[in-house]
Amino acid sequence: MKKKKMITRREFIKRTSLAAVGGAVFLTKPEWAALSPAGPARVAQEAKKSKVVLVRNKDVLNEQGRPVAEVVLDMLDTAVKELTGQPDAVASWKTFIKPDDIVGIKTNVWTYIPTTAEVENALKKRVMDAGVKEANIGIDDRGVLRHPAFQKATALINARPMRAHHWSGVGTLIKNYIMFIPDPENYHGDSCASLGSIWEKPHVKGKTRLNVLGMLTPQFHVLGPHSFNPKYVWSYYGFLVGFDPVAVDATGLRIIQAKRQEFFGEDRPLSPPAKHILTADTQYHLGTADPNKIELVKIGYDQDIFI
Amino acid sequence: MKQKTVINASARRKSFRLVLCLALIIFSAGVAMSQSLEKLYSVLPSEVSGWKKAAPPETYDKGNLYDYIDGGAELYISYNFQKLLAVRYKVADEEEIVIDIFDMGNSFDAYGLFSHGREREDGIAGQGSEYNAGLLTFWKDRYYVSILAYPETEGKKEIVIGLGRRLADAVPKEGEVPPVIGLLPQPNLIPESVRYFHHYIWLNSHFFMANENILLIDDETQAVLAKYKTDDKPLHLLIALYPDRTKARKAEQSFLQNYLPDAREGMAQLPDGRWTGCRLEGERLSVVFNAPSREAAVSYLEMIKPDPSPTT
Repeated sequence: MKKKKMITRREFIKRTSLAAVGGAVFLTKPEWAALSPAGPARVAQEAKKSKVVLVRNKDVLNEQGRPVAEVVLDMLDTAVKELTGQPDAVASWKTFIKPDDIVGIKTNVWTYIPTTAEVENALKKRVMDAGVKEANIGIDDRGVLRHPAFQKATALINARPMRAHHWSGVGTLIKNYIMFIPDPENYHGDSCASLGSIWEKPHVKGKTRLNVLGMLTPQFHVLGPHSFNPKYVWSYYGFLVGFDPVAVDATGLRIIQAKRQEFFGEDRPLSPPAKHILTADTQYHLGTADPNKIELVKIGYDQDIFI
Repeated sequence: MKQKTVINASARRKSFRLVLCLALIIFSAGVAMSQSLEKLYSVLPSEVSGWKKAAPPETYDKGNLYDYIDGGAELYISYNFQKLLAVRYKVADEEEIVIDIFDMGNSFDAYGLFSHGREREDGIAGQGSEYNAGLLTFWKDRYYVSILAYPETEGKKEIVIGLGRRLADAVPKEGEVPPVIGLLPQPNLIPESVRYFHHYIWLNSHFFMANENILLIDDETQAVLAKYKTDDKPLHLLIALYPDRTKARKAEQSFLQNYLPDAREGMAQLPDGRWTGCRLEGERLSVVFNAPSREAAVSYLEMIKPDPSPTT
């Protein structure tokens, strides 16, 4: 077994002018990729950047903090149009969903910060607008291995909120697929570094058509018996949308890290670190975590944006 | 031969009685703990402002805590978790108030668990408490309690605080804080920053030092981390009490080798201009991080109080 490389705070200080530690540093300094167990980061392959759209709207949450369905749909439409360059939402969806697709919408049902029915329904609506029959659409989280639509799926839509997480540092789009394997507990070791391997499973590989990372009310620190503490949740009113799940997650992580810096008044690294985002890039090649290779388009509300 | 047989039989009877006594003691302790949690449960009303207790309480121990707190159980187990009593109140529209009463076995660990998460203390309940946006946490003696009612409303806040105070009052006595806390110098101390732990992962969650346990902190170590105000960035002070001098010395060597290989007299300036230094005194290893000057680092190490009273 390869010996884990010792990384100390002192090395972080040496390598960055900001003395920033934690996940964000992993993702902003290419040389850190060299410290991952996989070895040196692979040489940059594609000149084209991964496009990630951040869309925000302060009206997306009502007075009770619940998402407003019409605003959710409008925000997702805006993001997808920007992503595809198409003039309207349905045309956008038709570029990556075909009428004969069988579509699984992989949601997340965690009690305190779920994907929400409003987001699920918006995605389902647009999948149907792209020509898919309702009977060929499934929405599920923990039951995906038993769900007929997912068992036969030709296309997956990946949608979940971002939140700090006990096992993986942050709950991400990459992590959202942990329900596609029967033994999630076997992927918890080393801060869930091997989550990217799930995306290579035959019933998952190559099927993801869109990634939607909920940033409506993210949780930036995890504590409490239910992994939930309302003082670490804030209204960000946003979605991050893209075809590259690693790029979307990496961008979300930067927002989380910036919020932590603001709240704690100092660098407080995620514990455990969100290593799986880096390994999804450097080891499993699912996308890019390097901000220099991400084209971030910001639309809408721009106060307290953090990036 | 016959005498040896008689002696062996006698020794076996004595061993059996000893084992039986030990078993009874352990069983009684477990029963006593259960009875204490039962007593706390009994002070909770069956109904409060329309919220009713929903079903019997759930209990968890080390064997099945993961079933209840998937992903977060390690924190509690690392702080000597013994048993959990989980109680839910519900109203008609299925909203819940969730009460979790943790028996941490001793007051040091109950305090440690509370200190791990608190950002401020408001004196609402118990020996230390924090209420924020629908969640009340507090500790008293060997108990750590969490009461969650989310999303918050004024009505729920009143209920949460009322239930919390009722539970705190039902714990008959206050418990001691870990003696290592008493070693912390007081000038410029940020009180809410004090964290007590005996697992290096929790050190990293407050002040990332290294991805490996270079200070050799484990269940036999009592450690405290605290922040101190300076002119700009806060200074961090860590004090670790090891079970013996040998282990303390090994921890010092490990720290110097992995973190301060260029230290002189235990001090080194890092590339950001701040100073880090350590000092070994018997079973105690103290480390100061982010000091603005060498003099400040030395000063804080010298301010650490003499050894505390006997630890747990």
